[in-house]
Amino acid sequence: MAGEVNDFDTSYPKMLRQIPSPPKKLYYKGKFNKEIFENCLAVVGSRKMSPYGERVLEKIFSTLAPEITIVSGFMYGVDAEAHRKALKFGLRTIAVMPCGIDLIHPEGQKNLYEEIVSKGLILSEFDGVFEPKLWTYPRRNRIVAGLSMAVLVIEAASESGSLITARMAHSFGRDVFVVPGSIFSELNSGKVQISNEFAKTIDSGFSINKFFNLNYTGKLSEECKINNSEILNYLRSIPMTIDDLKKQFPNKDISQISTEVTLLTMNKHIVERDGVFYAC
Amino acid sequence: MLVKVKSIANRGMQTFGVDVEVNISNRGIPGLEIVGLADKSVAESRDRVKTAFQNSGLQFPNKKITINLAPADLNKEGSFYDLPIATGLICALLEVPVPECSLFFGELSFDGSLRHTKSSFLLSLYAKENNLNTIFVPQSCAKEAASIGGLSVYGVEDLSSLVDHLTGKNLIEKYCNLDSENEAYFDKDSSEYNYVVGQGQAKRALQICASGGHNLIMIGPPGSGKTMVAKSINSIIPDLSEEESIEVTKIYSLVGKIPPNFGLLKKRPFRSPHHTISYAGMVGGGNNPMPGEVTLAHRGILFMDEFSEFSRQVIESLRQPLENGKITVSRSRFSAEFPCRFTLIASSNPCPCGFYGDPNHQCTCTENKIKNYRAKLSGPILDRIDIHVNVLPVEKKLLIKDSFSSSNETLDFIKNKVANTRLIQQKRFKDEKIFTNSEIANSQIDKFCSFGEGAKRLLEQAIDAYCLSARAYFKIIRVARTIADLDEKSDIEINHIAEAVQYRSKFFL
Repeated sequence: MAGEVNDFDTSYPKMLRQIPSPPKKLYYKGKFNKEIFENCLAVVGSRKMSPYGERVLEKIFSTLAPEITIVSGFMYGVDAEAHRKALKFGLRTIAVMPCGIDLIHPEGQKNLYEEIVSKGLILSEFDGVFEPKLWTYPRRNRIVAGLSMAVLVIEAASESGSLITARMAHSFGRDVFVVPGSIFSELNSGKVQISNEFAKTIDSGFSINKFFNLNYTGKLSEECKINNSEILNYLRSIPMTIDDLKKQFPNKDISQISTEVTLLTMNKHIVERDGVFYAC
Repeated sequence: MLVKVKSIANRGMQTFGVDVEVNISNRGIPGLEIVGLADKSVAESRDRVKTAFQNSGLQFPNKKITINLAPADLNKEGSFYDLPIATGLICALLEVPVPECSLFFGELSFDGSLRHTKSSFLLSLYAKENNLNTIFVPQSCAKEAASIGGLSVYGVEDLSSLVDHLTGKNLIEKYCNLDSENEAYFDKDSSEYNYVVGQGQAKRALQICASGGHNLIMIGPPGSGKTMVAKSINSIIPDLSEEESIEVTKIYSLVGKIPPNFGLLKKRPFRSPHHTISYAGMVGGGNNPMPGEVTLAHRGILFMDEFSEFSRQVIESLRQPLENGKITVSRSRFSAEFPCRFTLIASSNPCPCGFYGDPNHQCTCTENKIKNYRAKLSGPILDRIDIHVNVLPVEKKLLIKDSFSSSNETLDFIKNKVANTRLIQQKRFKDEKIFTNSEIANSQIDKFCSFGEGAKRLLEQAIDAYCLSARAYFKIIRVARTIADLDEKSDIEINHIAEAVQYRSKFFL
């Protein structure tokens, strides 16, 4: 389903009307209905998502109430992963494009685009196959911030686009949430900046549910059963590679550690990203 | 007067017999002419032989001399026809018989001495096959030629000693190989396995790779020790078996890479071509096709550092060699088949800047750049690589601290384990044409890989849990087979499968 909506139409999203310069016309593809614009949470972050960022999304989204709509910018990295995880956990999702409504940008994510069209909503204030320009990205960010009641910053370097969106949302009077990160990561510096100014720090989806006044206790921890493996206990505190584990357990040889790690992964107690193992 | 002397001609790896016919005639304008499709290096033999004669105090006849290299339709190249031509002339002039069932081979120097000449090993192989039990080669080639055994090898020092031998005045002594110790010819650029600090997983992978001949790829940021790990394989891989040694020596003899006074090669070849290598340099080429790096790495290691920097054509050209263990180089005049059963060890950075996934550095590449970089590696080549390992930088404090002794596995222990695993495989495949587990075809998996209790079930679960392809399934079984052999177990057990799963391809799905 594709179409357009003007700012005088009743179906025009209410939240967006409240910002200083709302788009006069919005083009859309997908499920355009009233519910999808309720309880919108904008999720922003770096184009270069770290494995940590992916795990944050997985963990927080798995505990979000299904009434929440995830709004993001369809760029690769955190944006695209937010859409993917939203679809994975059955949340509604809106992708706001920086380009014409008929253009898929970035084009490599065609599959995701089609999935959003069928299960969520694609929005743009530009017509046809208008190419994205440097100036269209902040315009897009204003819609992302404007649609949402709150913005969640997953990962952001200082002076990044994600920070611009967060500040914009703050100026619209919306709430901003950040997820704590490692102080050794560059993608944490932006989050520190805004949490010193206005943002609230959260570490699970339950605080977001609370913010939206939604009562949802979630489906967490059913899979992550307690296992008395020594390796698992170590991974719970710090993510490690197989070589790190070898240092912790000098008595076990590499083949034993590899074996145990495979079995733990298959039981979904731990996950692996680029050779590093993390406890679930 | 007509004299016939036997010699050879090489075409690729094939050797043909050549008759060098020398005719000295009293009629006609004096001079020396060579016929029989001789190339420049053979034609120049005329001047070398003439000058060598004069400088050895022999009278060069002032008559019409014609030399025919038969069969006349086979191209001849190389400088080794000097000795057969000179022998023919001596026998014709001094009217002594040419020794029976003998092959002559070698390049002359102006002073009458014989120079080290390439491919004498091929000569002795040909001699043995054709029951020609005597060969005359330059002194420095005698060990190489004699290493096959069962031949009378005469190492000729210079022309005058040859004259003395042919006339029976003073016989050259038959070469006999007194020292049969291992030749350490490839041993120049290796790091010792137990001096590699940290990198336990990569080292374990290397052990499996050395034992089962599996191809290995290591991916990690610069400076993490990939190259050092790869080179340390030289210190744990067992020497060539006799059969393999003959195959390898033949190749190295053909390209003239056996130094003077060396015999059979015992160490496995380790080739590490630079990434600017040309296509022909990798697979072989030339008008008269000569082997490339893949063939020089036969029965040994082909190490491709910075794998993704190699040109696309070079990487793709590895497909056939990796699959069949041989390569056919076809040129308009001739096509040659070279063996190239090598173990590939590749190393690569995870992205163009190199720091993707490095805990200490920020990667500066865009998503697209990383995608394009990895696209070069994906596809059929990666499918042929059984073991994939992530290598992360070693912590500096580990390097500073003297932790060499922390490993309870000494070099000798590992070496024995690897050698033992190779022996187990040799027994398993004695009726097959393969040597290692990495060569097991998918159709042979059932025959050679039996599973212990629960192992197959675990494998099936792993396929589901990790979303692995059918190809990955066979790869895991092959690697698990080697791990079980390292464990000296006849059945593949649960822990072998579980470990093998860790070496699956994770990077380029």
